This record gives sequence, C-alpha cells and structure tokens, in this order.
Amino acid sequence: MKNILLCWDGSESAVRAFDFAVDLATRFGAALQVVAVARPPDVPDDVETEAMIERSRDHFASDFRSLGAKAGAAGVAMKPEVLVGHPAQRIVDYAESHGIDHIVLGHRGKTLFDRWKLGSVSRQVIHYAHCTTTVVR
Amino acid sequence: MTEIFALAALWLGLALAATLLSIWLRIATAMSEIVVGTVAQLAIGALVGAAALGTDQSWIRFLASTGAVLLTFLAGAELDPKVLRSTLKETATVGLIAFFAPFLGCAAAAYWLLHWSASSSWLAGIALSTTSVAVVYAVMLEFGLNRTNYGKTVLAACFINDLATVIALGLMFSPFTVRTLVFLGATIAAFLILPWITPRFFRRFGDRPSELEAKFLLLCLFGLGALAQWADSEAVLPAYVLGMVLAGTVGKDHALVRRLRTLTFGLLTPFYFIRAGSFVSIPALIGAPVAFLLLLAAKMTSKFVGVYPVTRWFAAPKREAMYTTLLMSTGLTFGSISALFGLSHGIIDGAQYSLLIAAVIGSAVVPTLIANAFYLPRHLLPKSPPDATASEELPVVTKVKP
Repeated sequence: MKNILLCWDGSESAVRAFDFAVDLATRFGAALQVVAVARPPDVPDDVETEAMIERSRDHFASDFRSLGAKAGAAGVAMKPEVLVGHPAQRIVDYAESHGIDHIVLGHRGKTLFDRWKLGSVSRQVIHYAHCTTTVVR
Repeated sequence: MTEIFALAALWLGLALAATLLSIWLRIATAMSEIVVGTVAQLAIGALVGAAALGTDQSWIRFLASTGAVLLTFLAGAELDPKVLRSTLKETATVGLIAFFAPFLGCAAAAYWLLHWSASSSWLAGIALSTTSVAVVYAVMLEFGLNRTNYGKTVLAACFINDLATVIALGLMFSPFTVRTLVFLGATIAAFLILPWITPRFFRRFGDRPSELEAKFLLLCLFGLGALAQWADSEAVLPAYVLGMVLAGTVGKDHALVRRLRTLTFGLLTPFYFIRAGSFVSIPALIGAPVAFLLLLAAKMTSKFVGVYPVTRWFAAPKREAMYTTLLMSTGLTFGSISALFGLSHGIIDGAQYSLLIAAVIGSAVVPTLIANAFYLPRHLLPKSPPDATASEELPVVTKVKP
C-alpha cells in the first residue's frame, strides 16, 4: 500500500477515520492524501454558490492545518486538497486519477431521511471506487 | 415604530424559515425565499388580509431594492478581469450568442405563442436570457476546466451574457432622452475614475472598524442608482458594471467582499426575494400551466441551440458540454430582478409576472435535475444495483477489490 486517501468532512466519524488512516499510513509507510469536498447547492444560484465555495475552502484549510500537525507528529507526510462537486463522484475520480490504493472515510447519514435525501456518500464510494475502501464508524 | 419592528420581525422570521428550508433541501436561498414569500402572502393574505405583509411599504421597498443592487454588484465583482481581457473576442462572441438566442427565442415564444404584447414579450426575453456565472464556475471547478482556455472563455462569456441582460433591462424600456445621455455620460466617467480612486482611497483610509469601504461603495451604488432611476433606467445596470470594473481591486479584497455578503444575505436580499415571491399569484399559475411550460421549454431550447454548439466547438466532450449547457440555463438572480422590474414598471401584469417567476425558478430546477440525473460524468451512473446492505452495522467495514 503506497497511497492512502482520507476523505474529510469535519465530522466525528471523519476524526476517527483520520486516526485510522494515520495509523495505516504509519504501519505501511504509505503517503497520506486528504481531500474535502465543497458541495454547491443542488439547485444553485450566483453569489451564494461562490460564497459557499470560498467559505468551504477557508473552513477546510483551517482543519487541514491541525490535521497536518497531527499527521506530522506521527511521522506521516500529508497532502491536503479541497475539491468541488458531488462528494462521492469527486472522491472516486480523485482516487483513480491520483493512483490511490486505499480510501478511508467516515460514516454519516444518521437518519433514514438523510440517506434518502443525500444518498450515502460512503455507500457510493464503496460501490464505485476502483480500490479498497474502508468506512470507519 | 412598533408596527415597523413587528413587521420586520415577521419578515426576518420568514427569512429564517426560508434559510432553514434551503439548508434542508440543498437549494439556493434565493429560491426558497421566493417560495416562502409566495406561500406567506397566500396564507397570511387569506388569514389576516392581503396588505398584512406590507410589501408596498416604503422601507420594505428600499431594503428590497438595496438588496438587488448589492447582490448585482457582488455578482459583477466575481469577474476575473485578466480572463476577460485575454479572450475578449471569443468571450464576447460566446456571451452574446448565449444572450441573444434565449432573448430572441423566449420573446418570440411569448409574442407569437402566448400572444403577449411586444414590450411584455421583450421583458420575458430578457428575464429568461440570463446565465448563472457562479453555477458554471462550480461546474468548471468540478471538471478542472477553470484553468483551460475553454473554461475561462465560457466563464467570461457568462459575464458578457449577464452584462447584455442588464444593459437590455436598463436601456430597452427607458425613453431615450437627455437624461439618458447624462446618465450614460456620468456613469462612464464614474467607471473610468473609480477603478483608479477606489484602491488608493481604501489604502489610505480603509481597514478600520468604521467600515469606510462599505460606506464608500454604498455611496457609489446609491449615487449611480439614483441617476439611473432619474433617467427612467434601472439601478442594477450601474451596480453590475461597477462590480465588474472594481473586480480587479475591490473584488480581490476577500474580507471586504465577505462583509458585504453578510450585509446582503443577512438583511437585504431576504426582503428582495420574499417580496418578489409575494407578488406571485398561485391561481394565475394553476390557470395557465401550459404557458409556464412553454416559457420554460423556450428558455431551455434556445439556450441549448445557442450554447451547446459553442461548447462542442471548443472540443468539450459531449457529456461535459451538455452538463455545462444545462447549467448555463439557470439564472435565478437576474431572472427574478428582470421580472420584478417588469411588474413594478407596468410592462407585465401580475399573471405574466407569476408565469415568468415560475419559469425562472423552473429554469433553475429542471436543467439542474436533468444535468445531475443524466449528464453527471461517468462515476455516478449506475454500473449495477447498489449493495443496499453494505457497511451498515460493523464499526469498521472494508470492502477489498481485486
């Protein structure tokens, strides 16, 4: 295992997924890439969409600073990136184009309605990813 | 003041409900505010009386108009001037095609198929000619096309498209008089001077808690807006162009833009969009569903005819070209601004306004749904039925693929 991809959304399960991914990277001596996805509204509008993307970039940049420090302390080099679009699609796309051989992500969608409304990102990633995928609860 | 505060509380309550709805349904706040405005007018109107929302009170009209002006300014300020300058010829061509195709197509549909008057038809053409720049920008980011020549050209073309829309809105319905010449002359002079003065003024006196920057920009917007109204034009025209000419300076000051967004989204635009929604007549929509579908179809078809060949000409793959084309058919902000301009200036009546707003909302929803359902690139198109039981119970689930 050479390249691990952690999918970050700031949730509690993502924190657990991060710890798991860092542990995995340490054991296998793998590189750790971290992506967060800014998702515009499904029915979008002008200035609000731009504002949402900018705000997400700032929010995740701040998260990445603390994650980078934690990964660094464990001796793992971390490469962060913020993507824009549908989370599952962007994660799967990124994994394919960056030679990822293991995706790690947290599990969300607490209610049935959440799953019906958004679909489960983790389920879609498991279904469509080209590589091994771990969902951390 | 008691009545004003109570009314303000009611409007902000509606705005809060609309925001929660937009978060819940993942739709643009502008759209949920329009819908909440329509439903509130219907419900409160039936229970208390048609005037209970106070949509024609001068302070509500002022806040709403200021919201439209600031929103338009911010939309213009998103432009990347370097991109526009580097591909001006192609950009102008694509942008003008993307404007004229739906403008003429929708005006023709309204005139010949719906038998609207000439001025109402032109207004319909303008309201349905717009494109949402940020939506296309998000798509370009998603495909990584924002750094390519194709992406830059399409993005800058969206600004030209919307610029053509606000110019048409600002000039087509105003009588061409000496006032128009004064307005145009003063506006052009302001646009030449302000990009030079503004950054220097901000550097010298700005970046203080007194928010000098916001006051200066509001002074410019209100001044030019007053001039536009005096010439029987529309205040969003100078606001959009001012945003574009200051995009290289003010537009790059992210902290300032964010403070303006807070003011705009937090207080002003809810008044604008809820008010716009309150004028929509549900009975008029129920009474003429075919007219609504016709306007929607006219917009989508004419955008397709105008934009799709251009995206293919730039060698975009078919699926991405179609995705871009469909999302270029959305345009909530300028569409609703144009329709409300038509209503408040007596160019269209209440029923026509209702149909136009419904078509504008439809043009934000339908192309997005089609794009996401059929043209979202490859990975999310089903390869086989999803495994419904996967990853539901275990603390850590690993699915290993060979």
